[in-house]
Amino acid sequence: MLRVPGSLEKTIEKRMAWKRTLQRFNNPVILKEIRSWMRTSQAFAVLTVYLIVISLIVFIVYQVTLASTSNPASDPNFRQTVGKAIFGTVVILELLLAALIGPALTSGAVSSERERRTFDLLRTTTLSARSFVLGKLGAALLYLILLIVAAMPIESIAFLLGGVGLAEILISSLMMIVCALFFCSLGLFFSSFMRRTLGSTVGAYVVIVLSVILLVVAFVLIFMNPNLCDARSAANDLPCQKTLIVIVWILASTNPLLAAGISESMLTQSQNAIMATMPLGSNLSVSLPLPWIPLVGLYIILSVFMIWASIHFVSRPDQ
Amino acid sequence: MSDIVEIRSLSKQFGRRRAVDQLDLTVGQGEIFGLVGPNGAGKTTTLLMLVTLLRPDHGEIKVSGFSVAREPRAVRAVIGFIPDVFGLYGNLTVAEYLDFFGACYGIASEQRRRLIGELLELVSISHRREDMVDTLSRGLQQRLALARVLMHDPQVLVLDEPASGLDPRARVEIRQLLIAIAKRGKTIIFSSHVLADVAELCSRVGILEQGRLVACGTLDQLNRQAAPHRFVRIELMQGANASDSQQLLASVPAVSHIRLKKEEAGADRIIFEVEFQGNEAALNQMLVRLLEKGLPIVHFGEVAQTLEDVFMQSTQGIVS
Repeated sequence: MLRVPGSLEKTIEKRMAWKRTLQRFNNPVILKEIRSWMRTSQAFAVLTVYLIVISLIVFIVYQVTLASTSNPASDPNFRQTVGKAIFGTVVILELLLAALIGPALTSGAVSSERERRTFDLLRTTTLSARSFVLGKLGAALLYLILLIVAAMPIESIAFLLGGVGLAEILISSLMMIVCALFFCSLGLFFSSFMRRTLGSTVGAYVVIVLSVILLVVAFVLIFMNPNLCDARSAANDLPCQKTLIVIVWILASTNPLLAAGISESMLTQSQNAIMATMPLGSNLSVSLPLPWIPLVGLYIILSVFMIWASIHFVSRPDQ
Repeated sequence: MSDIVEIRSLSKQFGRRRAVDQLDLTVGQGEIFGLVGPNGAGKTTTLLMLVTLLRPDHGEIKVSGFSVAREPRAVRAVIGFIPDVFGLYGNLTVAEYLDFFGACYGIASEQRRRLIGELLELVSISHRREDMVDTLSRGLQQRLALARVLMHDPQVLVLDEPASGLDPRARVEIRQLLIAIAKRGKTIIFSSHVLADVAELCSRVGILEQGRLVACGTLDQLNRQAAPHRFVRIELMQGANASDSQQLLASVPAVSHIRLKKEEAGADRIIFEVEFQGNEAALNQMLVRLLEKGLPIVHFGEVAQTLEDVFMQSTQGIVS
């Protein structure tokens, strides 16, 4: 009988153990979802339209920035200004992408399985509710990451032109990942307890319209009014300004577009990626963390809660 | 034969309607058990509770010793379920579809590869391995569903209307497949409206009506339960006098009821269906006596009750 040498036996045993460990993390739902999705024309249509839109907008931003400088060749900061503008545009567009496409990918995750009558087939397997939910979420996040990576050549124009620091790149990447996680979890949450995909899609987008889009509109309309504190006398200016700053900070910390814009503005002014100091006049100032920090924390907490709730709803047998 | 499925005092109510009412049922290992009943009798509700998809209001279900309420994951590992209406992942190939469900059961990839080949051979759709699932006909989809539930080698298969929507040929093929699967030692529980399939396949049958089990047992037991008497069909030549023949039959002590089947009588036959209480010897004596009296008998035979007859006698036809 052929005897396997001890060292080879150990190598084989190690490989088998490694394979068993990897298989524990192997989620069949992710592979199935990606396969199914990438075999549809929508996957490529979304990618194509997204890249065309982002390219057009970046081109427009470039032209507008160019038009705003009288002599770009002699302006030493022109390249950095353009680079910052392009980077900021791409980041905002990618946050909007996460907000608009994320829920579309997940709001039918569970409800469409019910509608297609495949949900009962899955529930009678030994696949856990956690694996099912995380698989659906993972597949949606992978597709969003594909879209973000596909836009990197456009984003890299900003890096070539300069004006974008490492802190901005890291913060924007973290914000994009957390926002993608949050918005995908939102769609998944509604899908897990609503019977129809239409209902869960409407629910998710109502939340997005209220918390992302309308909040930005309200912010622009109300807080960009320079006369907001002027009606008060000089003696009351301070409390008014303080209140205004705190309200702006709270609103910005709950909205990814505002958080990105205000954090970028503060980062450019103070070169501090964590804290910002805002002067109130009369040698007074208030220090607050940049809005991206509470936003990331809030979105992570909400995402964890929504994922936990989704798992709970999916694991319940019908009453 | 030990019981692999035990259902005790099972009840389920939807609003004011009692879908399942104090159901007691056991299924032995290796049995093919058929569940029949009118629409709304509680068949599907019972099966859904058995496969952990629906929570019972009262009672207990055990599968292979595992409690459905307390150990649902262990129960799912030993059962395979095909609902009456089910969807498919149309964007996957047949092989990918089976691979996915095999992975859901935690089967290793090498084992899945081997199983997929074997199961596709068993259900005779190997030639469609690389085709998309949504290109399969209804009959082939049903065969694929059978392959799917066998991936994890369950002990019990639960099928809700497996012949639903199939053409006659496909029904026969599914029936043959179920027989082949049962020969591998699987216990099969299925509900069906097609009594002919149930009668052919099942070792035991349960008849449900309004959530209650009105009859349960082998076909012979059900026959005796529904109709303790025997029915004998007697065909006489046309020349015989019908009323004289009827009087003669009535004079036999073991005969309790006589029916002249006018609707079946042809130009050359008079047909009686006689309800008879007695054993084989008494039946033989009756034949001898009738022949001695000169009755022109061309056919004398016991009428076997079909499951349809048993079903009609056991149920009241109340549809919930």
